[in-house]
Amino acid sequence: MEYLVSHYNYWVYILLMMVGLYAMLAKNNLIKKVIGMSIFQTAIIVFYVSTGAKREASIPIIAHGHGHDAAHTVIEAAHYANPLPHVLMLTAIVVSVGTLGVALAICLGIYRRYKTLEEDEIQEQLHDSL
Amino acid sequence: MILYEQSPALLVVIPLLSAFAINIFGLYNRRLCFPIAFLALAATLGAATMTLARVLQAGPISYRLGGWPPPFGIEYVIDHLNGLVLVTIAFVSFLAVIFAKLSVEKELPDKIPQFYTLFVLLVTGLLGMTATGDAFNLYVLLEIAALTGYALIALGDNRALVASFNYVILGTIGASFYLLGVGHLYIMTGSLNMGDLLTILPGLYATRAIFVAFLLVLCGVWLKMAFFPLHTWLPNAYTYAPSAVGCLVAPLVTKVSVYIMIRVMLSVFSSHYVFEVLALTGPIVWLAVAAIIFGSIQALAQDNLKKMLTYLIVAEVGYMVGGVWLATGYGISGAILHIVNDALMTFCLFVFAGIVTYKTGGHMLSDLQGLYRKMPVTMTGFTVVALSMIGVPPTAGFFSKWYLILGAIEAGSYHFMVALLVSSLVNAILFFRIIEITFFEPKMDHHTGHAPEITINEAPFSMLMPLLVVALGLIIIGIYSGTIVTNIIQHSVPGGLL
Amino acid sequence: MIWQIDLSVLSLIVLCGFATIMVKDLLSAAIIFGAYSFLMCLLWTEMGAVDVAFTEASVGAGVSTILFIAAAYQTTRIVKPRKSGRIFAKIVALAASVAMGLVLLAAQTNFPGFADPESPASLHLSPYYITQTLADTAVPNMVTSVLADYRGFDTMFETAVIFTAGLAVIAILRRVKHIDRCELPDPYTISAGSQDNIIRFVSRQLVPFMQLFALYVVAHGHHSPGGGFQGGVILGASFILLAITYDIQLVQQRMNEKWNILLGNIGVLIYASIGFICLLLGANFLDYSMLSKILPATDPVMARSHGMLGIEIGVAIAVMAIVVTIYLNLASNGKLDKGL
Repeated sequence: MEYLVSHYNYWVYILLMMVGLYAMLAKNNLIKKVIGMSIFQTAIIVFYVSTGAKREASIPIIAHGHGHDAAHTVIEAAHYANPLPHVLMLTAIVVSVGTLGVALAICLGIYRRYKTLEEDEIQEQLHDSL
Repeated sequence: MILYEQSPALLVVIPLLSAFAINIFGLYNRRLCFPIAFLALAATLGAATMTLARVLQAGPISYRLGGWPPPFGIEYVIDHLNGLVLVTIAFVSFLAVIFAKLSVEKELPDKIPQFYTLFVLLVTGLLGMTATGDAFNLYVLLEIAALTGYALIALGDNRALVASFNYVILGTIGASFYLLGVGHLYIMTGSLNMGDLLTILPGLYATRAIFVAFLLVLCGVWLKMAFFPLHTWLPNAYTYAPSAVGCLVAPLVTKVSVYIMIRVMLSVFSSHYVFEVLALTGPIVWLAVAAIIFGSIQALAQDNLKKMLTYLIVAEVGYMVGGVWLATGYGISGAILHIVNDALMTFCLFVFAGIVTYKTGGHMLSDLQGLYRKMPVTMTGFTVVALSMIGVPPTAGFFSKWYLILGAIEAGSYHFMVALLVSSLVNAILFFRIIEITFFEPKMDHHTGHAPEITINEAPFSMLMPLLVVALGLIIIGIYSGTIVTNIIQHSVPGGLL
Repeated sequence: MIWQIDLSVLSLIVLCGFATIMVKDLLSAAIIFGAYSFLMCLLWTEMGAVDVAFTEASVGAGVSTILFIAAAYQTTRIVKPRKSGRIFAKIVALAASVAMGLVLLAAQTNFPGFADPESPASLHLSPYYITQTLADTAVPNMVTSVLADYRGFDTMFETAVIFTAGLAVIAILRRVKHIDRCELPDPYTISAGSQDNIIRFVSRQLVPFMQLFALYVVAHGHHSPGGGFQGGVILGASFILLAITYDIQLVQQRMNEKWNILLGNIGVLIYASIGFICLLLGANFLDYSMLSKILPATDPVMARSHGMLGIEIGVAIAVMAIVVTIYLNLASNGKLDKGL
């Protein structure tokens, strides 16, 4: 039970990554592949944020922290969650939405040209044109 | 002097700021885009050269961004290895933009501002990846280079969109594996700085998590460099991209990924861990042999010039990965020297393909007929590059192959040596076949009854100049290979292997 | 950190993940993906990552969902079943996923327990950030100080990434000549004629509050969850709301393509220029303490705080412009005439 509580986060992220990778490689529809890509990337974010979680710790913002009178309150690291993974994941979320935009633009371009979003139909059209 | 001290930061900041300048001015006047890009990349080449000179004079540089000491802030660490790669990137991209001017005006006339902006941003990403000493910063710059690459490749016509989509999926898997590997390192050590990780990791070498971290980073980087069998995105993506894009991405993106592999192997996990604790050198060298053989055979089977060149890239990546994993001094030196040489050779070959496309409109091998008479200067340059690819002294290609073969003998990996020799043979067949085609005159014209006139219709100067400069450079680098290896590359090889 | 809530939210997330892959309708897949993202937000809040939750809510759940819907609108809703067998591809994909899963499972046996305060990540770098943020930068929100100051270089490139994405969408979708007419195979109207007076009225009332809140988020990012990205996305979302409820033309009248590109550039330029000014003043790139030389009556610590505010404003402007651009181009397939 102890082991379950301390490790289930990691099992879930591994499961989500497997779902995402399978969708990216096996699915026929291009937009489903893109959805799989998003799931893959958010699974990694689950992993990173889990590294930053701390039992009995508060959010990483120091309350009553305006001005210089905060200097006499003692700030203990154990009271606040770890801010570094949060920063890294802010970057990762923005990067993943950027990649999503580019991938969807390419999908639209492909649909405009081939009139289909299914990979096997596109391959057929490519083979026919050779 | 500000420029001198700040050169590590400047070589990334200059292209970044100029990308926005290109985009803003491009809204008003498209003709300003090329001059700004030209000046920016020239300045970047200057900054990169100055940085390398500093490293040669005074040893590795550590530059603190934001003024924060590592590991709390992000750090740029420039030593001999990435100083050399930085100069290569700046040099090739400067010449690529010169080539791009006419090519883009013909192939992408309505997208000129976007092209140059994406071009310069790609160069920024590559330079930043090479200069950084922070594992997560590398990921962000990897994504900049990747996104610009996806967009630039998708600008081609024909099958470029499908090829680019495939690249997006596989490239994202690669980058995400790298990110996950860094995450594993972080959760076990708490640090992201490469130097810091090097000191913390030795206590953790026996754990599975660190082994998996290494595997994840390795697989991610292998996907990015198109190492067999993860190469499937490369041939289509580079064949159908616009010519100017091919001249930039083909020489540089895969080589920078090889650099990242070397950097992670030697400066994050130490050479002791990679070569001695893990028992992977044997299987990976076999994979490299498979990459070389596969790339060479596939290249033989193509009748599309550009696709043939892309399979040659797959083989060349096999040289470099195998060279590093031979785990000997000669092998690693040969691999690092080959990064520089292969960047220059691939650049020349893609410029040649670009010239052929510009002049004849196609890039099949049959379009090369009669080129020998029509474009003698271009063919001279091409012949030099061909000799370098085959490995004929005194061109640079011979020396890097020589070091690699010495490394193979030193390590006892005779199968790698055989693969290198087979590849040289195949390259000889390929390139002599091309040169033979260019000697052929086109057939008689049936309507007029006599052979068409062959007049000299040489490539324009702005396209010819990069080809010739680099061809000359290959000879010069070949002659000075010994100096380069002793003064620059030897410093990067880990001490126990020399 | 109540693990029962954690576990149930995670299970729902996995369910949504499976569902979004398996449904046969792209619009449903997009909506379920939106639910997946919102559940992720809940998870982050519960784990104490409020800034990440805020960003995921605005960027992940908000913008990603609407981009998927726009893409589904411009292409097709229906996912056709595979024509030929192609069992081989499925087997390879399954094998690859399972192999990766097993490798990762082997790794996690060494991981420190979830939420362990003694884990290496919690003991190595982060205590410095937590204890020193007020002394070094006078900013109570540690995530903002790490994001904008200690690791500000990463953030600059992250803004460049979103800029690149916007530029790439324009470059890929814009076709000046030979426009292939794209007929929509399934008739698809979300709003028809004058029946949406209620929607239009309500959204018109909402927009100024959204924008005011977005400006608050940008300005107050130092003291509460928020910052440049979240504020910029909310600002962009206010325009997207107008574009959905009315028409793309309405948004084009107020913020045309040229202004979008200009603002996107100016935003990132503000960021890079602040760093460059610091370089010219003699310090390293992005060392804001040097700004105390040119800003009146500030010491180096407050100069860092002001520098951070400056770059957050730059980020907000850039992100707003780019998010609007990406949506407008995707929803109209590059032609910018009519959209959702």
